[in-house]
Amino acid sequence: MNILHDNLARLASRHQDLATGVKTATGGVLTIEPARTGVPSARRSGRWIHSAYDPLREAQTWADTHAAACQSGEMVVVAGVGLLYHVEALRNKLPPDVSLAVVIPNLDEFHDALAARSFGAWSESVLWLPGAPAEIAATLTKLGRPLRCLSYAPATLADADFYRALEDALRRGIARQRGGQLTIALVGPIYGGSLPITGYVKRALETLGHKVRWIDHSVHAASYDAMGTLKDQRNRQMMQGRMAEVLSQWTLASLAESPPDLVLSMAQAPMTLPVLEHLRKKKFLTAMWFVENYRHLTYWRQMAPGYEFWFVFQQGACLEAFRQAGARQVNYLPMAADPELHGPMSLSEADRRTFGSDVSFVGAGYANRRKLFPALLHQPWSFKLWGNEWEGADDLRAVLQLEGARIDTATCMKVFNATAINLNLHSTTGTGLDPQADFVNPRTFELAACGAFQLVDHRSELRQFFSEQEMVSFKDFGDVPGLVHHWLHDSDARQAVADAARARVLSEHTYVHRMRDLLGHIGLSQPDRVGSVLRGERQQEALLARCADDRPLEALLKDCPSGQRIELKDVAARIRSKGPTSTLKREELMVLMLDEYRSETRDLL
Amino acid sequence: MPHEPAPEHRDLVIQMARLGDLVQTLPAIESLHEAYPERTLDILCAAPLTVILAGAGHIGRVIPWDGTQWQAWANGWQANPTATLQAMQSYIASLGEMTYERVYPLNQHARSRLMTQLFSSHSFHGHDQDDIETAMRPWRQHLRQVAQERGANRIHLADVWCGMCGVRPRGQAPLLAPPVVELPEDLAEIGERPGLWIALATGAGEADRCVAPAVWRQWIREFLAQTQDGQVVLIGSGTERESAQAIVEALPTLLHGRIWDATGRTTLSQLMRLLHRCQWVIGADTGPLHLGTLVGTRALGWYFSRARLHETGPYGEGHWVYQHATPAQPQQWPIMESLALMCGDQGRHTTDWTVWRSRMDRWGAYFDDGSGNNGVEHSRADIWRACAPDLCESMAA
Repeated sequence: MNILHDNLARLASRHQDLATGVKTATGGVLTIEPARTGVPSARRSGRWIHSAYDPLREAQTWADTHAAACQSGEMVVVAGVGLLYHVEALRNKLPPDVSLAVVIPNLDEFHDALAARSFGAWSESVLWLPGAPAEIAATLTKLGRPLRCLSYAPATLADADFYRALEDALRRGIARQRGGQLTIALVGPIYGGSLPITGYVKRALETLGHKVRWIDHSVHAASYDAMGTLKDQRNRQMMQGRMAEVLSQWTLASLAESPPDLVLSMAQAPMTLPVLEHLRKKKFLTAMWFVENYRHLTYWRQMAPGYEFWFVFQQGACLEAFRQAGARQVNYLPMAADPELHGPMSLSEADRRTFGSDVSFVGAGYANRRKLFPALLHQPWSFKLWGNEWEGADDLRAVLQLEGARIDTATCMKVFNATAINLNLHSTTGTGLDPQADFVNPRTFELAACGAFQLVDHRSELRQFFSEQEMVSFKDFGDVPGLVHHWLHDSDARQAVADAARARVLSEHTYVHRMRDLLGHIGLSQPDRVGSVLRGERQQEALLARCADDRPLEALLKDCPSGQRIELKDVAARIRSKGPTSTLKREELMVLMLDEYRSETRDLL
Repeated sequence: MPHEPAPEHRDLVIQMARLGDLVQTLPAIESLHEAYPERTLDILCAAPLTVILAGAGHIGRVIPWDGTQWQAWANGWQANPTATLQAMQSYIASLGEMTYERVYPLNQHARSRLMTQLFSSHSFHGHDQDDIETAMRPWRQHLRQVAQERGANRIHLADVWCGMCGVRPRGQAPLLAPPVVELPEDLAEIGERPGLWIALATGAGEADRCVAPAVWRQWIREFLAQTQDGQVVLIGSGTERESAQAIVEALPTLLHGRIWDATGRTTLSQLMRLLHRCQWVIGADTGPLHLGTLVGTRALGWYFSRARLHETGPYGEGHWVYQHATPAQPQQWPIMESLALMCGDQGRHTTDWTVWRSRMDRWGAYFDDGSGNNGVEHSRADIWRACAPDLCESMAA
């Protein structure tokens, strides 16, 4: 009782409300048991939170591991309470100019900790954060300091949902900070479904104010296809593999010309593991948005350790599989639409006749579609099938448009807009609906963004994006004719559903939203790099504000264009522009010297 | 009336290259001192290498340039430009007086040019420095030409640096007393008892210039078989420990008592002391060979790949180099030939290798293959006349 009393008194000196709250809490969440070394250890729901042998040593190891990365001026936010041995060790290890905050999801657990052992002076320099995730995130964001989030995993398991919500809120907070301009190298594929998405991603990042350089490998598609004509499979694979290696080196050469803050690859980008490892050695930050079904395309297994960040559009088992394969950080990032391209159109009568029908489908001839679509023939409504790779589907030939030619985006938009009911059937290699329906394809968002009505096969994640009032789904393909019959004759209801879906896409599911989220993830985990740019700390105004009374530095920075992000290389370029014969000041020479060392560290090839 | 003390005139040589290059700068430093005994000469070099110059005479101060720190600042500038600039200014201030009347930048990269500007006294920037730049220009052009054409150049790099500094080579190699440092206990015995002690540099800066452990193993086995009192000291950096172990482990245990593995276990000062205690240093890595010659040890180099003896061979009298005939990786190695040479025999050419002995004359160091080619001296003289006509006139006078 004395321990609790003393700890509460210490806490109350700085956190009166929290102390009052803990006093009224009942505790009983932690089971306190002595460790072998004699100090208290704890279990929660039967699981040890601290070592049963030596909690102090364990905490010291944890603190030693994490303290090295923490930097001056940062606010380190610790997730995981337990008996706070790890927090004590970390606080003692960190220099005073690194602040420390601890999230308290459960006052009863905190009560148990305060009752179990006596806290020293270290606890007075910790910011304790009780409350709901959104409140805590708001408090931290308001501090305006770089946040570094650490997790003491054994103590976070029981409150996993709470911490996930907090991380989302923090990420959104960072994503909202649009103060700074990142330079991003976007590495696209040679061909395939992720190629147009690369374009959408580029536009979204530019909309957010970032500078994007698209390293476009689609210009090499003709050569790649030409190699595909080799009959010998071994030779074909070897040549295409070699070409991918050359393109990977080409990416490296492009990056060397102007090193970006972030290298963002899209699925199928020709990047080899050795090149990614080389980039990592050279301190480049790399990320991959894998916009493919991880069960179908499996090359990610070899590439997993190469990227610093992976973003995938499947959750659960997918995230775990990537981690198992060696991915450092893997996050969920679903698909989206680009309203610049995917939107309502006013079509001429001629276009309506050409591209319109009661029911249509746009897509490639996967096995399940070949098997299921014949059921849509010989119905009292019209059905048109658009897209390629339908060779051999003789029974569908009568409804196949443009003789099975590949459909470009503009045509696709016309079909979406001219069709009463767009069918959206996710592809599988089986003969029915996708048995592992754990992602939502881009088509779902694109149709919705067009304000086009769709019937989509049900996905486990669908309701996370669209409510039943916004999207109609089916779990059995046999239900489709009935659904068509029902919705075809109620155009007002169709319009209402389509309008609601479009509104939802515009407010939550565009590529701008996704890129904001992606950068939020990276910014949260890299507070001193991407995070500082996103916070605007590298803009001219922010740098000038930090100049204090350093007149020479102020003069150097003022020479650069106002309202822009300023890098060392920009200042150096300004100085060099004075010409080779000008007499430079000492600080100008030192900046040029620094720039020489900077370019040396980025010497890639 | 008392005399006013004469104002001190300070000059600076900038040499930011690696170990071997710093050693090869010493002839220029000695020549500068001989030409301008009244002036004080400071040296700016990479911080880890300053110990090499600790025992050198004629040097005012050896200024360490901490490249690692500059890299850290370059990475940290963006996070806090004010603090970085202040730290840099403090660093420069900590180097002490930094206005030099004459600065001799021996490297050709941008950093060297910036250092020259940073350390040049503005009040003197003009006549003297312009003269230095003018004297250096033809030599820089010569070096560029050599790098591009890799022709039959016979001017040693150390002598080019003399020319760049506007002075003639002294015609003798620098010699330093090794630093007085203690060796690790188990290495203290090296060179203390009679015998033929050979330091063997196991590695090389670049992979294509490394000799395989199996080759060195064979060399050691033959050497120890031929000499009753022969001892081999393996030297190299920490990265070469593995190859040294590979050499030792595959040798018969009976020979282990005559092999001393010092790789990765010595500081530069200790390495100088070790080399001083050996009669010979052999290897393909030019750095240890140059360091050996500096403390009076005879050097025998195996030069292949891009290594060229005429520019970077061991400086001074009586060193030997086996130069491979082509830039391709050697298939045969001059094992028996180099052993015979060390044991008192004459140098013998092999099919793929020519053997060269280092000599000194009024143009500096050169290498002689025993063919009696008189054209060599003429070609060196021609280069000196083209690059430094004023110096050649004063020599003639």
